[in-house]
Amino acid sequence: MLLAANAFANEPNNVDEQRQVRSLLADRCFLCHGPDEESREADLRLDTREGAIRGGLVPGDAEASELMRRVVADDVDLRMPPPDSGKTPLSTAELAILRRWINAGAKYDVHWSFRKPQRPKLPPSTGASLEQSGLDRFVNAKLDAEGIEPASPADRYSLIRRVTLDLTGLPPSIEAIDAFVNDPSPDAYQQVVDRLLASPQYGERWALWWLDLARYADSNGYESDRTRSIWPWRDWVIDALNNDMTFDEFTIEQIAGDMLPNATDATRIATGFHRNTWINEEGGHDWEQFRHESIVDRVHTTGTVFLGLTVACAQCHDHKYDPITQREYWQLFAFLNNTDEPDFWVADPEIRDRQQQIDIEIARRIAARAAHFPPLDPDVAADKKNESRRQHLDTKFRAWVDQPANRPLRWSLLDPVSAVSEGNATMTELDDHSILLTGDRPEIDSYEMVYETDANRVTGFRLEAITDSRLPNFGPGRGSFMGDGAFAISEFRVEILEASGTDKPDGTDGNVRPSSTSMEFARAIDNTASRSGVHSLAEETHIKNSIDDNKLTHWSIQGGPGKQPVAVFETARPYDLPAGARLRITILQNFVHQRTLGRFRLYATGDDGPMHADQRPTSIDSLLRKEFQDHTESDRQTLKKHYLSIAPELSAYNDEIQKLQDTRPLHPTTFVFAERTNKNKRQSHVHERGEYQRPVEEVSPAVPVALHPLRNDLPRNRMGLAQWLVDADNPLVARVAANQLWQSFFGRGIVSTPEDFGLQGAAPSHPKLLDWLAVEFQRNWSLKSLQRRIVTSAAYRRSSTVAPELSARDPQNILLSRGPRVRVDAETIRDIALAASGLMVHTLGGPSVFPPQPSEAGNTFGPFKWETSVGADRYRRGLYTFRKRGGPYAAFATFDAPPPNTCAMIRRRSNTPLQALAQLNDLVIVEASRALAERVLHEASGDDTERIRHAFRLVLSRPPTDAELSLLVEYHTRQRQRFDTGSLDAQKVYGAKSSDNAELTALAAMTTVARLVLNLDETITKE
Amino acid sequence: MNPPPNSTSHVRLARRYFLGECGVGLGSMALGALLGNDRQASGAPPASKQKLVHPNAPKAAHFKPRAKHVIFLFMAGGPSQLELFDHKPELQKYDGQQVPSEVIEGFDLPFIERDAALMASPVRYYQHGESGTKVSEMLPHVASIADEIAIVKSIHTDAFNHAPAQLLLHTGHLQLGKPSMGSWVTYGLGSESQDLPAYVVLGNTAVSGGSSTFNCGFLPTMYQGVPFRSQGSPVLFVENPDGVDDRLQRDTLDVIRRLNNDRLNAVGDPEIASRISAYEMAFRLQARAPELMDLSRETPETLAMYGVDLEKPSFANQCLLARRMVERGVRFVEVSLVGWDHHANVVDNVREYSQIVDQACAALVKDLKQRGMLDETLIIWGGEFGRTPMVENNPALGRRRGRDHHPNAFAMWFAGGGIRPGVSIGKTDDMGYHVVEDPVHIHDVQATVLHLLGMDHEQLTFRYQGRDFRLTDVGGRVVSKILA
Repeated sequence: MLLAANAFANEPNNVDEQRQVRSLLADRCFLCHGPDEESREADLRLDTREGAIRGGLVPGDAEASELMRRVVADDVDLRMPPPDSGKTPLSTAELAILRRWINAGAKYDVHWSFRKPQRPKLPPSTGASLEQSGLDRFVNAKLDAEGIEPASPADRYSLIRRVTLDLTGLPPSIEAIDAFVNDPSPDAYQQVVDRLLASPQYGERWALWWLDLARYADSNGYESDRTRSIWPWRDWVIDALNNDMTFDEFTIEQIAGDMLPNATDATRIATGFHRNTWINEEGGHDWEQFRHESIVDRVHTTGTVFLGLTVACAQCHDHKYDPITQREYWQLFAFLNNTDEPDFWVADPEIRDRQQQIDIEIARRIAARAAHFPPLDPDVAADKKNESRRQHLDTKFRAWVDQPANRPLRWSLLDPVSAVSEGNATMTELDDHSILLTGDRPEIDSYEMVYETDANRVTGFRLEAITDSRLPNFGPGRGSFMGDGAFAISEFRVEILEASGTDKPDGTDGNVRPSSTSMEFARAIDNTASRSGVHSLAEETHIKNSIDDNKLTHWSIQGGPGKQPVAVFETARPYDLPAGARLRITILQNFVHQRTLGRFRLYATGDDGPMHADQRPTSIDSLLRKEFQDHTESDRQTLKKHYLSIAPELSAYNDEIQKLQDTRPLHPTTFVFAERTNKNKRQSHVHERGEYQRPVEEVSPAVPVALHPLRNDLPRNRMGLAQWLVDADNPLVARVAANQLWQSFFGRGIVSTPEDFGLQGAAPSHPKLLDWLAVEFQRNWSLKSLQRRIVTSAAYRRSSTVAPELSARDPQNILLSRGPRVRVDAETIRDIALAASGLMVHTLGGPSVFPPQPSEAGNTFGPFKWETSVGADRYRRGLYTFRKRGGPYAAFATFDAPPPNTCAMIRRRSNTPLQALAQLNDLVIVEASRALAERVLHEASGDDTERIRHAFRLVLSRPPTDAELSLLVEYHTRQRQRFDTGSLDAQKVYGAKSSDNAELTALAAMTTVARLVLNLDETITKE
Repeated sequence: MNPPPNSTSHVRLARRYFLGECGVGLGSMALGALLGNDRQASGAPPASKQKLVHPNAPKAAHFKPRAKHVIFLFMAGGPSQLELFDHKPELQKYDGQQVPSEVIEGFDLPFIERDAALMASPVRYYQHGESGTKVSEMLPHVASIADEIAIVKSIHTDAFNHAPAQLLLHTGHLQLGKPSMGSWVTYGLGSESQDLPAYVVLGNTAVSGGSSTFNCGFLPTMYQGVPFRSQGSPVLFVENPDGVDDRLQRDTLDVIRRLNNDRLNAVGDPEIASRISAYEMAFRLQARAPELMDLSRETPETLAMYGVDLEKPSFANQCLLARRMVERGVRFVEVSLVGWDHHANVVDNVREYSQIVDQACAALVKDLKQRGMLDETLIIWGGEFGRTPMVENNPALGRRRGRDHHPNAFAMWFAGGGIRPGVSIGKTDDMGYHVVEDPVHIHDVQATVLHLLGMDHEQLTFRYQGRDFRLTDVGGRVVSKILA
């Protein structure tokens, strides 16, 4: 703007002038003469004073400076920027700025946003007492300098609607309006503000802001775009905001809450912030590549949200404008690259109670099993029944124990000496010697375990797949596609490794390797054939595929609670094991969709005899190998308890128990971070041209040197990064956050490029005010305090009416001579309609909901169906509407809700015909119109005029003018006549039957008025 | 909008933001600001940039355009070039053999093994027209317009999964959140229609890439692709609520307009004037949509040419609809057909899908030509990648004699505005694995599309998060060999 160019004409090289020159050079020159060495032309850099002087800049003498000569050159071959660069030549005004800057000494100070904000001196106070606040002094000083008279204060109706929408996202109630409008006390407005900041709706409204930054969604994105559960993180945000959690703590918990010394469930849930990245589940993808992409996104988001810097630009090359090298980019990446990404069970006391009730009932029924065993003689007399029952059970039990086929083989548990996942998953041996897989979840994998054994003979192996609450859908596989917990084993291979004394060269690379013998298998069996739901496509999924030496065929198993298949692999002949031999077992898993084993245990046997695959615990097996008479009483109790669980006579009874088990509710889960241990730490690299496949030199976590240092006492990990972001010396974080809040209230930030505070970003319109706000904010990191300061300022409370002469001079209200007038956010449009009509259901938090929308919008690629919520969930606040990445809620997308792809620091506000259609015809508006009609017919006493006045106030907060009211009344009369004459169908418009025709017509006519009022520009605008 | 008799300075002010009839309706100062003024607000604004232009009015191209409209026939899933356009008789002699390892070096494949065998195509190819262009027997109708189209057999892309590859094809980037080609085009050229959206999406919008394939990314929402459906309500929310007839809708809109006008007079925010015109355009869209969608207004000859069955939605209907849209000034129409992902029985499946598209695609070219519209309408046919010369046999996935995703070499064809008719360019190796002549990257396709529309792909940029983004990212070369 002109004022910026003229204001400081006589002050050589002041900060603002430097800022102008800096952005001028950045815009026109840095692409080829900036910090990026790769793209630097003619070895000239203009981003440092030394570089510029070396290139012919003569401080104090513009005309002698090569830079000046080149930008004014007539010769197109010499002129800069070159005509074919697409860069605009310098204007006369810009040349003047540049000339003055050089003549005054060509000072290069650090870019303004990289210097720590200092509390600026307050300008002298002017105007009324309301204008004495620090904030207003800065705003007024600028207005005074421009000779602009600020607008008068907004009327109370506008003000309460404005501040209520801003702080809670809802319109004020009529009671609240009347109370405020009629409150003569001097602190009436302060009281309103305090009440709003303390209301639970405050947290909902501001969570919406944070969700945009966090790219929150309820689905995974990419092709399958499967539903995910991460809403507990969203509820964490609402709580944190309602409790006014300090912004430094808010930041630390979200970046590294899992690493706090006193980490709690809540601080772990907080780490969901960076789990809001996309997850690719398309078959055959490279898992590591997309994990890498999600870290790239986290670096970008961290840089944008907490630093306001376009860090992402340094992924492929040194930043073209800002002092961030490519190496520094990957050093930041290294901070975030050492995480695992597990699901976390969120303990819900209500669910725990329900689980306990069911568990007690199940235990009761198990204890009573024996009493339900059928009597030997069904017709026995009642008093003999129990005796007959006992006899029957004893007979059957004894027969089962004595059954020769029940004599099991001796399976010895194999205890691995090493276990490695080819796909880099973390293998952990648990206390029961089973192996649990966590960490990386590659698309395909191969596990290789080495076992030492005392046995001298092997005839078979037994594999138990075990469910676990840490696996998707409880496992036993790691398959995540559709959350199934499935796995598929392509090949099960065993080799005998002879003791090292017999090592011999293998002949290919000359390395000495232990000689090995591969075992051949005669057959493989599993226990799945009889279990419905475990086994579906016999041929394609059969266990024999695991020993057919064809890695394209698989033994595949569906997952889920209780699905614990057992496989037995019988060798073609007995194998003798030489002393000291070890066994190497390889489980090749070559299917797609991460279908790999999640938890398993292996046994071997050297016994001969028929092999069975069943789920019987080996503890029962060892008892069954003893003769009946050798059993102790406790053995017998154990065996009987097991027998009761499998007795055919009790199958109906046991099925009932299973059904009960299936009704046991589960705690919700949410996505969190877990830091990897030092043992399996990830190494990060610089990636050439930013490409995933091109890692070059190794890097460790470090922060860019141009920013504040990472304190020595902080760890070089994610926690260190979190602390660094909110370090008192961080020049950016408080400015960026204060600017975000300012933007939310005024519709425009003090820096109009909220995502870019770097050299290419816009200069702040009120730099001192921004610094003052930042310093104030940093004192206590309280969002509510800062918001209170803003909404109680005179600048915020001004009327938003646009004076024509000012509109031409300052169309965007950058100088803040008037109050904000902006269209509200998409979700708020919905909330206004629901609140005004009384339909809104104020339930705080919980899983996302599915309000009605046109079916063609909701049902996108894949099996996902938008199952419209019924009951209360149909009328929840917009915040809770399910956020589907592949198909955003239609009305919200139409009104510029950002697609949750990347962090959105700003919402656009377009004004389109499709929005008009949505507001006119969306079912939500139609339902709200009907409810609003009912409400005013119910609440307003008097005639239709009074009812219409009431409807108007419920929506717009202010009373209508006479002209407005008469237009609406006439409209109502016209429609009423049409309903009366049957030219319009009241039942269709009102959407319900009524036996009372007059009532129906009244409701229908009022519905049309309500719909009209909900469609006014003012309705969806914060004035 | 007719200014009320008591029009105040506010209204006059607001009116300045609209060129011509304000009924065009989109945007206002706020959007004007988004389109380039914002950044200068507190810096040093070049006065020339301060003029407020209606953001969606037609805009001048960088140079004289060859085409004014685009119809993109998007074959989602990746059609097999080996069964359609890239004739590989030499593949016969490799049939059943392993691919030489040096050929496959460095390339990963999702579903098939590195030692998989090559599979020759049994499909026959014939030369057609004066140009002698080779087209497979699968596409007899496309073969009949061989002299009208330019086939490029040497397209390559960077991704081998559907979603990222579709994003690259549509937005020029593998990452999400970037504007699609149609958005860039309408951002660059504006709209020629007073009552229809400038960018329309037909067919199955449920593609792997999701709505990101027609999303406007960081461009203003007005450049978003608007899906039109052939069944039910053509545009979201276009139908009046139950019981609301046109008279009630008109009456309602009139009162809304008067009340909004009163408010405009009272508070003077030009955004209200934009809202008024947006509502007017919405009403016109409601009025026009039924006529637009009504294919029964076409002659029986036209319907027969496309193979349209009025009773049921089809790709043919969408092709005809695309022509009707372009006739009415829609700038960019995308017709997508999902289902070309032929991991199994590639020959039979390609035959089935060819039968769905062949006649209609050819009819579209012929129809545009006979109406004199082909010169100014660019037609693009193709998918996100091609298919491997190797066979995919994967019993666990129930797949036999299929082909896997292949990003290294595939085919697309182009016709109409500025395209040199009757040429085939690009050559692949004997196996059809790699491009050996005239490689054309997806960015080159995009650069060419923009070029034909009169835009330099390096100049069409948008500043977002500190960087000037463009459709072609950091690549793109105009494919001059297919230019007329």
